[in-house]
Amino acid sequence: MTAVLVVPVALLLQVMLVNRLPLPAGGVPDLVLLAVVAVALIRGPGAGAVIGFFTGLVVDVVPPTAHVAGLYAFVFALVGYLAGRGAGGRVTTVALCVVLAPLMAAAVGGLMSDPRVTISTLTEQVPVTVAYTMIAAPVVIWLATRGRRQRYEI
Amino acid sequence: MRDSRQARLILGTLLAAALVILTVDHRAGESSPLTPLRSAGAWLFGAAEEAGGAVARPVGGFLHAIAAAPSAQADIERLKAENARLRSSLSADRLDAARAAELKRMLGLAGLGGYKVVSANVIARRGQPGFEDAVQIDAGTDDGVRTDMTVLNGDGLVGRVVHASARTSTVVLLSDLASAAGARLEGGQEIGVVHGVAENGRLLQFKLLDSTAPIERGARLVSFGSHRGAPYVPGVPIGVIEQVESTPGQLVRIAYARPYADLTALDVVGVVVQGPARDPRDAVLPRREGAR
Repeated sequence: MTAVLVVPVALLLQVMLVNRLPLPAGGVPDLVLLAVVAVALIRGPGAGAVIGFFTGLVVDVVPPTAHVAGLYAFVFALVGYLAGRGAGGRVTTVALCVVLAPLMAAAVGGLMSDPRVTISTLTEQVPVTVAYTMIAAPVVIWLATRGRRQRYEI
Repeated sequence: MRDSRQARLILGTLLAAALVILTVDHRAGESSPLTPLRSAGAWLFGAAEEAGGAVARPVGGFLHAIAAAPSAQADIERLKAENARLRSSLSADRLDAARAAELKRMLGLAGLGGYKVVSANVIARRGQPGFEDAVQIDAGTDDGVRTDMTVLNGDGLVGRVVHASARTSTVVLLSDLASAAGARLEGGQEIGVVHGVAENGRLLQFKLLDSTAPIERGARLVSFGSHRGAPYVPGVPIGVIEQVESTPGQLVRIAYARPYADLTALDVVGVVVQGPARDPRDAVLPRREGAR
C-alpha cells in the first residue's frame, strides 16, 4: 500500500516541483530513487525489485521524457532488489543505492550510445545529483518508512 | 535472506524484461510499441501535472525567492545606494539651477547699472551672537575684491566688503546695526542715510536729511554713491519705504524700508569691482508692479 502512495507522490513532486528548483550547482535530488529505496527497505528484495521495475517503467513514460524506455525500469529494479536485500546497515544500503543508481543509468545509457552520457556528465552532474540526493535521503526515507517494521536493524 | 533465491529469480526476470523493453524501444524508435504506453502516461500524468502545477507554482516561486534571497539582498543594497546617489545628484542639480537663476538675475542687474562685478557665493554667516550681521563670501583679493567694495545680488544692495583676504572676504550687510549707506529717493534729489536696525534684516532705517521733503509709503530707495564709488556705488536698488514716522521738530525724518535683497537668505552675490562711468540714477530699479 505504501508503494502505491509513496512512489506516485514522489514522482509528481519530482517532476512538478523539485526539478524546477533553482538549486546551486544545477542539480536536484532524486526523490523517486529515494522512494524506491524506502519502499524496498520495508518490503524486501523480491517486492523491491518488482516495485522498482514498475516505478522505473512509469518514470520512463511520464512526460517530459526523452530517454529510451526501460532504462529506469532496469536501474530501479536493480536498486529495489539491492535495497531490499540490504548491504551492511541501513545507512550503507541507502548510500550505496544513491551512488549506484545514476552510475548504472549512465552505464545503460552508454550501452545504448545515448549522446547525453559523456565524461563531463559523469564528473560534473552525477556528483551534484548524488550529493543532493544524499542530503534529501534522511528526510524522504524517514517520511516513507516511519511507523513501519524494519526488516533488519542498523 | 530466506527469500533470496526467489528474489533473485524475480530480479533476473525483471532485468531481462527491462532489457527487452530497452532494446525494442531503442531499435523501433518512433514506431515503438511503447508509444501508446507513453501517450497514456502523458495523458495521465500530464493531467496531474497540470492540476498540480497551480499548487506547485507558488511553492516553486517561494523556494525560488528563498534561493535568490542573498542576491536579492545585494540587489536591494545596490539599488538603495544608487537611489541615494541619484537623489543627492538631483537635489544638487536643483540647487545648481536655483543658483544659476540667481546668478543670472544678479548679472542682469549689474549689466543694467553698468557695474563690473565679481560673482561669489556666501559660504558662512555671522548672525546674532556677535551683534554684527556679516557674511563670508568665496571671492577675495585674488579675484580682484578689495576692502570697501559694494556687494549686491539680483535684487539689490547687500552690503560692503570690510575685509578681503586672498580667497575669501567679509561682507557687512545693510542690516548690520553699524552699517550706514547713503541713499537717494527715487525720482528726486532727496538724500538720506540707511542704517541697519535690529530686525533681522527685515527692515532698514532711512533717515531723510531734509525733514520737510515729502516722503510716503511705497517710495523707493537707491544707493546714492560714495566718493569714487567706495564703499557704495550709485544707483543700486536698496528698498521700498514701508512706514514713515512722524517726527515733528526733528532735523531728520525717519522712515523704515524693506530691503529688496533678502538679507537673511543670501547665496549668490556680486562684488562691484568697478563702478559705472555714469550714475545710472533710477534705471536699475525693478519695474513698478502694474507699470509697463
